[in-house]
Amino acid sequence: MMMELLQWLEHTPIAHAIRDWRWAYPALETGHYIGLSLLVGGIMLIDLRVLGFAPKLQLKSMIGLLPFVWVGFLINVTTGSLLFIYGAVNFGTNHAFWVKMICLVIAGLNALAFDLSIKRYSYDWVAAERPPPLVKTFATLSFALWLCVVTAGRWMAYI
Amino acid sequence: MGFLEWLQGTWVATTVAESLWGYPTFETMHTMGMALLIGSLGLINLRVLGFKPGLKIFDTRALLPLAWIGFTLNAISGSALFVSDAVMFFNSYTFRLKIVLIILGGINAALLSRKIFSEPAQGGAAVVPTTGMKWIAGTSLVFWFGAIICGRLIAYTP
Repeated sequence: MMMELLQWLEHTPIAHAIRDWRWAYPALETGHYIGLSLLVGGIMLIDLRVLGFAPKLQLKSMIGLLPFVWVGFLINVTTGSLLFIYGAVNFGTNHAFWVKMICLVIAGLNALAFDLSIKRYSYDWVAAERPPPLVKTFATLSFALWLCVVTAGRWMAYI
Repeated sequence: MGFLEWLQGTWVATTVAESLWGYPTFETMHTMGMALLIGSLGLINLRVLGFKPGLKIFDTRALLPLAWIGFTLNAISGSALFVSDAVMFFNSYTFRLKIVLIILGGINAALLSRKIFSEPAQGGAAVVPTTGMKWIAGTSLVFWFGAIICGRLIAYTP
């Protein structure tokens, strides 16, 4: 069932188009790296700031980097999906790929929890520049999870 | 050419090239370093270009240590990856272009730091980015993203 779906994906017109144009794969990969710089770069800066790095930079402005993170995320969902469709059977049966997806989902839930803690906390820790310990835990987890996403992503080619 | 072949034969090079973990580990390090370096320098450049006006330009110098950590990670991992296949990398035009772009990006970063992080800029009046500073910041972004593009394309181009 799963295998049939993967094989079907590989034979969609999109997959054929990527296979037919020589530069499609390298271009998508490059796009994925640029998206990664925005996404992981932005998130790491926010995480490190919450953890106390560069205290002079306003927490509010750093969290204001989120639009860049979203742009990076959208670039990577798009390029990542296209790369997956192109090599569905290979990727879908790759353990590193599934580790990456699991880390990605947990990182997403963690980011959601972080976001809720900004919106729902009884006091405004962003304005007070004083992240509560719980939020620092989210930031630490976030850093570790994104490191796992990148690591698993790189290892896909070797497993 | 003798030197490159010697490099490729060193213990470091053969370990990176032949061990199961060597190449992917340094590649991962290179990717994380890239995110740190481009993330922090990118933010400084975007701030000079007018984004995030809430951040004081002078205060963004707090990001420089992060940029240096990213750069150091990438210099180490990049060197390890280079020696593992020194002849191929040295002969690749895309690799050479990448190095040129990194050097240009570095010069730009040094120029911009001198302008926006110099002592007189501290305290008193806030730094107002001039057209010159904005040009340096804009071209910087082009150099660094160009370096990422070249890096990815080494595997596909002569």
